[in-house]
Amino acid sequence: MSSTEKTPNINLYTTQTPNGIKISITLEELGIPYKPHKIDISQNTQKEPFFLAINPNGRIPALTDTFSDGQTIRLFESGSIMQYLVEQYDSVHHKISYPAGSRESYEVNNWLFFLNAGVGPMQGQANHFFRYAPEKIEYGISRYQNETRRLYRVLDQHLSTSSSGYLVGEKCTIADIAHWGWVAAAGWAGIEIDEFPHLKAWEDRMLARPGVERGRHVPSPHRMKEMSKAEMEKHAQESAQWIQREQAKDAKKE
Amino acid sequence: MTQTITLWSHDSGPNPWKVAIVLEELALPYETKFVDLHKEVKAKPYTDKNPNGRVPAIEDPNTGITLWESGAIIEYLIDRYDTSNSLTYTSFPEKYYCKQYLHFQSSGQGPYFGQAAWFNKYHPENVQSAKDRYGAEVKRVTMVLDTILNGKEYLVGDKCTYADLSFVTWYQLAPYITGDTKIDFKGDYPHYYAWMERLTARPAVKKVLEDKQKATSG
Repeated sequence: MSSTEKTPNINLYTTQTPNGIKISITLEELGIPYKPHKIDISQNTQKEPFFLAINPNGRIPALTDTFSDGQTIRLFESGSIMQYLVEQYDSVHHKISYPAGSRESYEVNNWLFFLNAGVGPMQGQANHFFRYAPEKIEYGISRYQNETRRLYRVLDQHLSTSSSGYLVGEKCTIADIAHWGWVAAAGWAGIEIDEFPHLKAWEDRMLARPGVERGRHVPSPHRMKEMSKAEMEKHAQESAQWIQREQAKDAKKE
Repeated sequence: MTQTITLWSHDSGPNPWKVAIVLEELALPYETKFVDLHKEVKAKPYTDKNPNGRVPAIEDPNTGITLWESGAIIEYLIDRYDTSNSLTYTSFPEKYYCKQYLHFQSSGQGPYFGQAAWFNKYHPENVQSAKDRYGAEVKRVTMVLDTILNGKEYLVGDKCTYADLSFVTWYQLAPYITGDTKIDFKGDYPHYYAWMERLTARPAVKKVLEDKQKATSG
């Protein structure tokens, strides 16, 4: 890696979700400037041509930057965006990453993929069956809530043995940041965080970081921690109506 | 001389074989050890290797590292052993596009194809709305790939990379796991289909798929 870092010119396309705030928290932790653009999922902005040109998968987050060759780079998938940001902008001070090729750098990847391929998709399915599905399917709810609990137990057990209180080595890394928004939204999936004391302590430790506090409110206020159960249910009903309408539209396209 | 890498695997699950394809492509010496999913995978000593109690994991005596999560393992193997960049790019922006598609595969293809497999093949009751949900997601992911591959032979640049290869093993199971959702992959997603034919014609991929076939039937 070069010892100098280039000047960022970052546009972040995001919305208030666990995957969106991963990126704003990463940027805030690194202390680099960026321009947030709110993507209005309820207006299907993520399916518009300008957005699909950045991410053909039609999902947030996505990010553009001016690359070292002077050309624009377009990135999607939160995990790959995080890897890009630390390689480009954290190669000198290693605030939230470890040197490329080090043992710790590969261990960070273990947990980054664990979140992106495990916790995120499974907790997302728990949200679907618990909050949004048009019919109540007990089996679907318990399958994905139980899998989320299992993954939380793996995290809880691992954190119980960590001397720093973070997932890898002696500091907070992108592995921790990737998890935070999902764990903070446990209640939305119907999971009681109190069942996982080490994970709960880690969640609070993360929240005490100024970068997390700033980044979690991008592009709009993060309200997961203050919503009551009744408020969550009201919000979920509104979301469910919209999601079911969109699914019906998508089904007609096939 | 590279020492033999151990790959902890399972005969029919797609993720360990995804790693095997990269090991074969890089011509690395490796030994496959099958873990019993009912007895061994969630208990010590295996959970000392992977605290998540899942396959694959690798142990590499050349560096002393133990790693889990198939995506993280592939990134490690490429960083460490693909010194001629046969399956990757060091150039910009291609290097990051490879990572982008690997993450799309690990978080977008694998988990949803896995849920389709569960509701079509393993779950004792018929939950039609869940079959429909995951069948539709298999189609959507394939449509995204088909769009990207229109006019291109591979996902990134002009050669096959680890990003392309990571999609192969779940797609080998696609006709089986989508059950009632009949999908005409060849007719509806021709760019995807030609790409998959190109990938499965590679000698290393062929060998791994044959090894998997033998392991499953043996």
